[in-house]
Amino acid sequence: LAEFLSRRTLYSLISLVGLVILVFFLARLTGDPTNLYLPLDASLEAREDFRARHGFDDPMLVQFARFLGDLARFDLGDSIRQARPALDVVTEALPTTLTLAAWTMSLAVTLAIVVGSLAAVRPNGPFDRLASVVSLAGASAPDFWVAITGILVFAVALNWLPTSGTGTVWHWIMPLTVLLIRPFGLLVQVVRGAMMTALSSAYVKTARAKGVRGRRVVFLHALRNSMLPVITVAGDQAAGIINGAVIVETVFGFPGIGKVMIDAITQRDFAVIQAAILATALLIFVMNILIDLAYAMLDPRVRYR
Amino acid sequence: MLRLRTMTALALPGLLLGAAAFGGAVQAQEAGSVTVVLSEEPDIIDPCEASRSNVGRVVKQNITETLVEIDPTDGSITPRLATGWEQIDDLTWRFTLREGVSFHDGEPFNAETLAYSINRTLDESIDCEIRLKFFGGIALTPEPVDTYTIDLKTAEPAPILPTMMGTMTVVSPNTPMGERTRDPIGTGPYRFESWTPGQNIVLVRNDGYWGDAPAVEKATYVFRPESAVRAAMVATGEADLAPAIAVQDATDPSMDFSYLNSETSSFRIDMTVPPLDDVRVRKALNFAVDRDAFIGSIFPADVIKSTAQVVPSISGHNPDLVPWPYDPEQAKSLLEEARADGVAVDTPIRIVGRGEIYPNATEAAEAVAAMLEAVGFTIDLQMVDVAQWVDIYTKPYAEDRPPSLHQTQHDNNNGDAVFTVFFKYHCDGGQSTTCDEELDALIEKATVSTGDERRQTWQAAFKRIHDELVADIQMFHMVGFTRVGSRINYQPSISTNSEVQLAHITFK
Repeated sequence: LAEFLSRRTLYSLISLVGLVILVFFLARLTGDPTNLYLPLDASLEAREDFRARHGFDDPMLVQFARFLGDLARFDLGDSIRQARPALDVVTEALPTTLTLAAWTMSLAVTLAIVVGSLAAVRPNGPFDRLASVVSLAGASAPDFWVAITGILVFAVALNWLPTSGTGTVWHWIMPLTVLLIRPFGLLVQVVRGAMMTALSSAYVKTARAKGVRGRRVVFLHALRNSMLPVITVAGDQAAGIINGAVIVETVFGFPGIGKVMIDAITQRDFAVIQAAILATALLIFVMNILIDLAYAMLDPRVRYR
Repeated sequence: MLRLRTMTALALPGLLLGAAAFGGAVQAQEAGSVTVVLSEEPDIIDPCEASRSNVGRVVKQNITETLVEIDPTDGSITPRLATGWEQIDDLTWRFTLREGVSFHDGEPFNAETLAYSINRTLDESIDCEIRLKFFGGIALTPEPVDTYTIDLKTAEPAPILPTMMGTMTVVSPNTPMGERTRDPIGTGPYRFESWTPGQNIVLVRNDGYWGDAPAVEKATYVFRPESAVRAAMVATGEADLAPAIAVQDATDPSMDFSYLNSETSSFRIDMTVPPLDDVRVRKALNFAVDRDAFIGSIFPADVIKSTAQVVPSISGHNPDLVPWPYDPEQAKSLLEEARADGVAVDTPIRIVGRGEIYPNATEAAEAVAAMLEAVGFTIDLQMVDVAQWVDIYTKPYAEDRPPSLHQTQHDNNNGDAVFTVFFKYHCDGGQSTTCDEELDALIEKATVSTGDERRQTWQAAFKRIHDELVADIQMFHMVGFTRVGSRINYQPSISTNSEVQLAHITFK
């Protein structure tokens, strides 16, 4: 296992370095932030002066060397826009997105397992039909539309929940629900499919023949073996949430990393782009390692590969 | 099995009931406090950036004040931190300062501290927008005369320096020189209390304020990019004021107010590239656009057809100019006439559009493109992002650029046309695609003159731009919408685009 882990970490590090180089050059490919930062009325001299002071007029390789030098001292640079370290901007925003993602995925997986399993027990029964309609609708509904409609219904018309913002538990209900819908819809389909395969497999039939009770077969024998595809899809969705949270964060005014990243990209705030991508990439690599570990625990065959 | 299914069946209505029971938990506001919901969070709240609208709405005249205040309805100025001003000679203005004023950190406001603040704002080692936007290329030296008198000396005559000082916020001498601050300290009726990035900015009333004590004791600014959410927050009472909402969300006449927002939309014509260097072609462009068709459809019903990039309340606006009428036949015949003279009128003309420059901007650009094609132009509509848009819009221009129209919107609520005309129409203007000797002479004359002569010279310049040079396709003076909650009184005005004075809010 130790060898497996160290190999995975090494691969991840190589990818990270590649990513850092790629992001550095891609971000600068479209130009520098001078014209976006300065007012339209700023003179040509003011623009050139700005470029020189922030080092945007140096050759790309010189800028890259400077960036690597700073990085070696764990300095990710300052946000030009916010006049403070880019790392502060990112570490401030990260916990909100992580909390959102963790709750969303836990709830989505739990709910999907319950609903998917129940649907698989009696395929084409009324519950299965209902679950399919709801989950397919969920998987295909645009987040943005769901979020705005949710606000109009639950906050403006019914006055049950706050429209947006943070503060109380009630503020989290709508953002979580909106984020949850798509992974939940997908996972229900995955659980249902995997469970149907498992329930019709030989080992379940054997267990039933031996007289094991229905609930035990479903939740012990079949479910455990159906978890592999669920974990794969769930891992994929979790990575997607870190990116996809931008809509929820924007609509509900949640101070998360998705919004920080989008704003930094549109403003060409290079230091923040780099810090945000580096931080999320690290997270996704950690998560992938955890998923691999979960795999290895669930399926002995993976361990020997 | 049954138990599980029952539990699932109960779970959802249970959750909803729980939420309903807590419906009352939706935040109510404290007495004396207001919440203002803005469309974007400022990156920084340095007062020297107060000309950025998202910074200005928090900072300007709330935390930091200016020497004079510009009345946006007619461009006149009234005393604020200065009580009087006079021109000593061509290069010197003398300001008398208000006595008994102190900054929020206890420092006194006087000629010395004012000089520090002016020098900080004009310091070239930081990129204060107020310097770059209003004081570019102007050498200004503050020279204290006595405690409450200061001379502002300029290298060139600056006849409207008092008006220009209406844009410059005054900060405490403890504000760092040469670096930007996230902790604004001024003399205004509100003190900066806290900023939780991504969440809110809080101001509290300054009880040591020199002027009348305002009604609002505490103001919380929150940020929601979605207009529908901002409108919803005021509707539910979570916020009291949304200074800018989209027209489609301004559906309740009891809460929603429209106001001329000091922005003017137009399409710049690049007069330096054929066939747009021919005035007949530029007139044809103007005759081809049916402006009335936009009103109440793509643009809100309250917009006003414009003849210049400054709104009517700006000194120098020319009320005698008439918008170009819609006359497609005349457009066609002008094009034919030019074609007969060998002008390459069939050259594809690029429209550089920007989707988010104002609401429905894409639709506006598409409609203009269709109208131009209807009279015989060949149009290449390119919608670009803000960075590309700025690159194309500002000098230096690409050598091999195609003939272009540029979708723009310009905001001037600073009282005088100089903040607009030089940049956009002078040969040396950073965004100018016009170069006309006669116009340059008018601009240079107006810049150094005062009073009626100044106003009349600007009016002559606008006549030259609109009637003779035909340098743009002028569209509209735009309107904005503000939603005001039921707890407060607040009247949006043309300055709501750049400032929201909390002192103007009262409770019902």
